Amino acid sequence: MVEQIIMALLNGILLGGVLALLAFGLNLIFGVVKIIHMAYGQFVMLGFYFIYFFYTAWHIPLLLSMAMGIVAMGLIGILVQLVIINPLLKAPRLNQLLALASLIIVVENLAQVIWGADYRGIPLTMPIIQFGEIFIRSSFLIAFIGAILTLGLLYLFLNRTYLGLGIRAVAQDLEMAKGVGINPNVIYYLTQATGGALTGLVAAFFIPIYTVHPHFGASFTLMAFVIVVFGGMGNLLGGFASAFIIGIATSVTAVLSSKEIADILALVLFIGMMMIRPQGLFGTES
Amino acid sequence: MLEIQNVTKVFGGILALTGVSLKVGEGSFVGLIGPNGSGKTTLFNVVSGAFPPSKGNVIFNGQAISGMPPNHICRQGIARTFQIPQPIKSLTVAENVMLGTIFGSQQIGTACGLDRAREEALQWLDFVGLKLDPESYPDRMTAGDLRKLEMARAIATRPKVLLADEVLSGLNRDELKDASGILQKARDELGLTIIWVEHVMHVLMKLVERVVVLNYGMLIADGDPASVSKDERVIEAYLGRH
Repeated sequence: MVEQIIMALLNGILLGGVLALLAFGLNLIFGVVKIIHMAYGQFVMLGFYFIYFFYTAWHIPLLLSMAMGIVAMGLIGILVQLVIINPLLKAPRLNQLLALASLIIVVENLAQVIWGADYRGIPLTMPIIQFGEIFIRSSFLIAFIGAILTLGLLYLFLNRTYLGLGIRAVAQDLEMAKGVGINPNVIYYLTQATGGALTGLVAAFFIPIYTVHPHFGASFTLMAFVIVVFGGMGNLLGGFASAFIIGIATSVTAVLSSKEIADILALVLFIGMMMIRPQGLFGTES
Repeated sequence: MLEIQNVTKVFGGILALTGVSLKVGEGSFVGLIGPNGSGKTTLFNVVSGAFPPSKGNVIFNGQAISGMPPNHICRQGIARTFQIPQPIKSLTVAENVMLGTIFGSQQIGTACGLDRAREEALQWLDFVGLKLDPESYPDRMTAGDLRKLEMARAIATRPKVLLADEVLSGLNRDELKDASGILQKARDELGLTIIWVEHVMHVLMKLVERVVVLNYGMLIADGDPASVSKDERVIEAYLGRH
């Protein structure tokens, strides 16, 4: 039993890394473009299908398929900004939310039309790592290491490059940013491309772990949203921390009781946070 | 070099600016004054591109800039400071100024990395005399230091024209001297054209060579400080009819 809990804890941490990546993208888009990307999890599903398609239909090597999936999702991010968000930048927030929520319906049904409702996946056998009585799936470990490395790179990008400075300036004060010559549209496209590419990357990490179906994304939209709000909307550090809290809590609970109870626990944690600290773990009151 | 042609700005049913025309020559130091709500900041907002004029044009170096987005106008060489200084709190003091060097008219650092931009930003911090650690965060700064940072960031965009919006408000006597000294220095050493909105009249009148007065969105006086301060309409605007 102890080993099982330790394994669940480890799996929670490993999965938390990937969730942190997803939360980072959602947070970044919210912080910079000031919109809530309701279909963010569905983009992971789309990325998964792209990689699946490149690999099975075009017989492109898997790693290259993954890279192409990441690029394709980056382009889709730009497309979303161009077609959906730009026309609604000055619209009431509710209109933006509805537009992005309807994107869920569009993307899910599009996937169903193109790929059907069957579960699809790329069968991969990844070794299992053993430490005494503890077993870890290497696919989880790779995803975790990849996610942490990516987060590190994103941190450097935001802090050590001029575009990163521009992104942070636009996130905090749009008027001032325009006043020093920053073109907000360039920053918006860049942010959407980054956010989109991240869903492609998360999809690539999920390839050896899951199979995909048209409604695969819904749980990840909810999960990313819970994590982001739990940590404090727009707060990148908060999102990072809460990804692990939620990841570990659900993973351990799933072992102790069931997957369903784990999902309930995540939402109970979320509701509890909203009642005690509506601004989230790391959020500041405004 | 900067010509404001018959600019009118309407908000809802309110005329914020009514047919304001103004020509500002290169290297001049112009004070823009008027009672509260007379349209000074609105005029700055129109020139800097925060919003387009309802009517009229702004011509800069022979090119119509009215209606352009503010980031475009900044890159053409018109910078502004804001009435309430607003540094980006999650960026260091140096990084705040670097925004100006990188994204302003010279685009230093977009090709050659951030070190060059940082170097340049440190020079501008030195220029305005801000003696804070450039790697500290601007969350607990005095009003005077905030002004200096605000001006450093605006000057770092390497403008030809600087729109200085109430750079003296809320400052103590020493800080007044520092802040107005920076404008003087920017004009004399960098050859900037400066339009300066200010309520601290005794400092403004001593420094500028020309004063333009707005009242109810209309230009009511334009001349050297001595003659404007004696102008009947200006006295009336400030003190009321007697």
